[in-house]
Amino acid sequence: MTSPTIASPDNAADDLPEPPCSPQLVEEMLRHLARAIKTHQLYLPNNPIYARAIDSLRAAFAPIWPHTSEIALAVSESDFRWFGRVVMHEAGRSESLPWLFFKDGVRELTMSQGIEDEELVSLLKILQRVRNAAPEEDDLLTLLWEQEFTRLKYRFVDINLDSHASFEIASEPPKDRTIPIVEDIRAEEREKPAEERKSGIVKLEDLDATLYFLDENEIEYLRAAVVAEQTIDMPRNVLAILLDIFEVQENAVVRDEICGILESYMLNLLSGGAYGSVAYLLAETEALSRRPVNIAPLHKQRLLALPTSLSDPKVLSQLLEALDQSETIPPQEELDALFEQLRSGTLGTVLGWLKQAQNAELRTALERAAGRMASANSGDLIKLIGSADPSVAIEAMRRAGELKTAAAVAPLAKVLQQPNVELRQAAAQTLSEIGSAGALRLLETALNDDDRDVRVAAVRAIGIRGHRAALPRVEAVVKGKTVKGADLTEKMAYFEAYGALARDAGIPPLDRLLNRRSFWGRRATPELRACAARALGMIGSADALEVLRRAHNDRDPMVRSAINRAMRERT
Amino acid sequence: MTHAPTQTTGSSAAQHGHVAERGGDGFVRKMGREFLLAIYGALRTVKMYPPDNPVVQKTMQEVVRLSNELLRNEREVEMRVSGEFIFINATRLRLDLENYASFSRIIAAFREAGVGLCRIRDGSTVRDWVVYLTLLQNAAVGDPDGRLYALGEKLAAAKVTVFELGPPTNLDEELREKAKEAAKRTYAQSVSVTKEVINSVRMGRSPNIKKIKRVVQGIVDQILNEETSLIGLTTLRDYDEYTFTHSVNVCIFSVALGRKLGLTRLQLYDLGTAALMHDIGKARVPLDILNKPSGLSEDEWRAISAHPWMGVLQLFQMRGQNDVPYRAMIVAFEHHKKTDLSGYPKHVRPRTMSIYSKVVAVADAFDAATSRRAYQSTPLSPADVLQEMRINPHRGMDQVLVKAFMSLVGHYPVGTLVVLDTFEMAIVHAANPSPDALVRPIVRLISDEQGNLLFPGTLVDLNEAHPSNGGYARTIIKVADPERYGIRISDYFV
Repeated sequence: MTSPTIASPDNAADDLPEPPCSPQLVEEMLRHLARAIKTHQLYLPNNPIYARAIDSLRAAFAPIWPHTSEIALAVSESDFRWFGRVVMHEAGRSESLPWLFFKDGVRELTMSQGIEDEELVSLLKILQRVRNAAPEEDDLLTLLWEQEFTRLKYRFVDINLDSHASFEIASEPPKDRTIPIVEDIRAEEREKPAEERKSGIVKLEDLDATLYFLDENEIEYLRAAVVAEQTIDMPRNVLAILLDIFEVQENAVVRDEICGILESYMLNLLSGGAYGSVAYLLAETEALSRRPVNIAPLHKQRLLALPTSLSDPKVLSQLLEALDQSETIPPQEELDALFEQLRSGTLGTVLGWLKQAQNAELRTALERAAGRMASANSGDLIKLIGSADPSVAIEAMRRAGELKTAAAVAPLAKVLQQPNVELRQAAAQTLSEIGSAGALRLLETALNDDDRDVRVAAVRAIGIRGHRAALPRVEAVVKGKTVKGADLTEKMAYFEAYGALARDAGIPPLDRLLNRRSFWGRRATPELRACAARALGMIGSADALEVLRRAHNDRDPMVRSAINRAMRERT
Repeated sequence: MTHAPTQTTGSSAAQHGHVAERGGDGFVRKMGREFLLAIYGALRTVKMYPPDNPVVQKTMQEVVRLSNELLRNEREVEMRVSGEFIFINATRLRLDLENYASFSRIIAAFREAGVGLCRIRDGSTVRDWVVYLTLLQNAAVGDPDGRLYALGEKLAAAKVTVFELGPPTNLDEELREKAKEAAKRTYAQSVSVTKEVINSVRMGRSPNIKKIKRVVQGIVDQILNEETSLIGLTTLRDYDEYTFTHSVNVCIFSVALGRKLGLTRLQLYDLGTAALMHDIGKARVPLDILNKPSGLSEDEWRAISAHPWMGVLQLFQMRGQNDVPYRAMIVAFEHHKKTDLSGYPKHVRPRTMSIYSKVVAVADAFDAATSRRAYQSTPLSPADVLQEMRINPHRGMDQVLVKAFMSLVGHYPVGTLVVLDTFEMAIVHAANPSPDALVRPIVRLISDEQGNLLFPGTLVDLNEAHPSNGGYARTIIKVADPERYGIRISDYFV
């Protein structure tokens, strides 16, 4: 079957019909098409090279349409022909565009005006997919059918189906004979009681004619059912079926098969991004294993292995990497549901990913998961404080602080001995949040830390918590020479703590520092005097405020500012 | 003695195979539907209001706009009515839930006016359409043979020249023959592939999924283009190849019913695949149990009633890397569950039955009950089966779908042997396109008034009036048993 525009390749040149325009235009368009397919394979749609290739292809159609509204190509193994003339010849099969169509049965391809507007990219996607398809995957005809192009027609031989499958009539057609129908009907009429004998004609009113028409409600019912069908969560529905079969059928062979299906299907779901369905599967297998259903130990083990396999650090890391690199992150509820199924041992992996995750939504979901797992498994959390991975250890400490986990104090003591400053800072912060007696005692030792931030965190915590046992050490620093070498922040922290711990007993030395001059008429440095003012503010008693009032005309602006602030905060 | 689809050996299909065509008519389908709906609206307005009424003017403007758009894209617009179908430029438009009332009205208006064909030229105006549709509406008077001519005269007198009208053409018969050949090819390939798939599964080999997809696509295309021929082939009901023909028949009925529900092409494809595979679980049931004539033991019944859930497991084994045939799995599991879920197999987790499962359940029950099987030597008549599905709630069928199915197959489904009041015997060939005449199908006369058998017989429309007395020329008085008279129904469809 050929169309008038497609001449047989065997026609002599003289017999070929005259094309509406130069074949070179069609050749050029096909060259652009081949290039566009390659570009589609190599580049993403937002790449300028890709965009240029598409634009060039679209432009290549433009000079053809004024002459004809259709480009009908005959397809052979290595050629496209137009009006009998070869417009593309590609002998090698691996990259050949004609072969790509021919091998799946296409023999004629017609592109109509307008194909370049909306359908071109869909066609490129299909051609690229077919080029890379494995033998068992969908072929070109199947994909073209699904796409339902309006500007592309094609003729094909279906090489997958046997075109010769036909009907054999295994016997002769009906022979001429006579059917005794008239006699049969008369006999039936005679046998009927008189009152039942009617004309025999079916009356319309005997049947409910409206029966066969759908009324508005019925049409609406069907419409709603069709719409609802499209919203079914298919994977979840099928998972429910599999689990139902597992529960109802106690046969070991059947359950073996289902376990195997679930194991491989879970991987399919993960790679397909159906995380909600995976979460559903894991939750259901967990629940099933706990129900009083007669399940052999081996099958129970296989069911429970599903969440365990996902919780394997390598597997989980791969999943998190895939999520992080994904262009579209699943909804938060799905991620939450999935992470809820992770076993306790995954806390370390999750904490480690908190720092690496680029995707904000993923980080949010991981934060929630980490919080949940930490509060449910304090043992794991405490162990992770000693993790070799500093980022994991820091996150573990952070959560221990949030949860005020007193049992974390012991491992935190070890962290305070670590050379890593960041770890020691985190430990100090955590101990201050925990605030237990043990934590505060540990913070006292941190007052001698080499790192200023550690010392500051420690002394602040001691002051806020009112750990009076540390007063002698704090007082020694405040009154001693070492404080003079500290920066303002550290000085301030010590003085504030001193104020909080010493209370009124601290007023005299603070008054001396703020208001008195030395024998030589010198006063303490403005920084120290400002710190003293802060400390008096922390004490906040009437006597302390009186000392501050006496100094409020101090000439130094730093001191004056500190006094004013202290008085403001207290009044 | 069977009509078994066979494969012939010899030259490759690639060299000598049939060449088919697809694609390119999506625009016409979409725009054509809108155009016809606009005409329907316009027909209603001219019936209710005077021509200069603003409502009439507005609807006509819409008709003009759509016809111009079609002309701009297609260069010509030709409406043709053939049977129950409307064609726009050789593209058949789909009848579904959304439009069946409107399409049927247009078909009826054309038929009553004796119009089979209407070509619309460029430059039609609101006035042209008002005149045309008003005349069309009132054309069903006088001698039926002269109506078309009278309509043409009136249009000329009113100086309306943009419409070129023609009678129903013999092209219908040509198209019918082409469609019949295509249907036979599709049916034979479908049964062949189904047989190959089920036998592969039974022997533990991987079946060819691509072939399944292709046959379902072929069935969907056939149903969308011309369903009557394909539905007619379901009468084959091959005893020896029951499993395979049954799967194909259920697929055909399901897709046809799905089309009536307005499913899209891809949705029909999903439904068709699910229907074709609904009994794949039977490939795991021993043949001696499947074919046992009577008296299943409890164990044997348990083996057979396991086929729905075994179908799910089988489909998992058959899935491709990226493709999980979800709907096929759901339908395989649910098709015997009944709408109240009291059927089999049991389920534990809450579920709602899918509409696709309900469709396949109706198609499955109908085909199974009307087929001869090992344990059912006398199949039930299609009419009796429909009745049973309708009135017996224990069958668990969705009653709205049963009703829709009955309007698909008619009160006397295709393949029913009937006796007429003329004492002629006939086989129902197709449901009557007129929704008012579902009890008056198109039949093929297979014996004359004296009982002489005819082959191949002639098609008659039982809705046709008697030439002299204005009543019906022929009416069905009863359904007959083909076995009693040695009639093989399928002889008249192949």
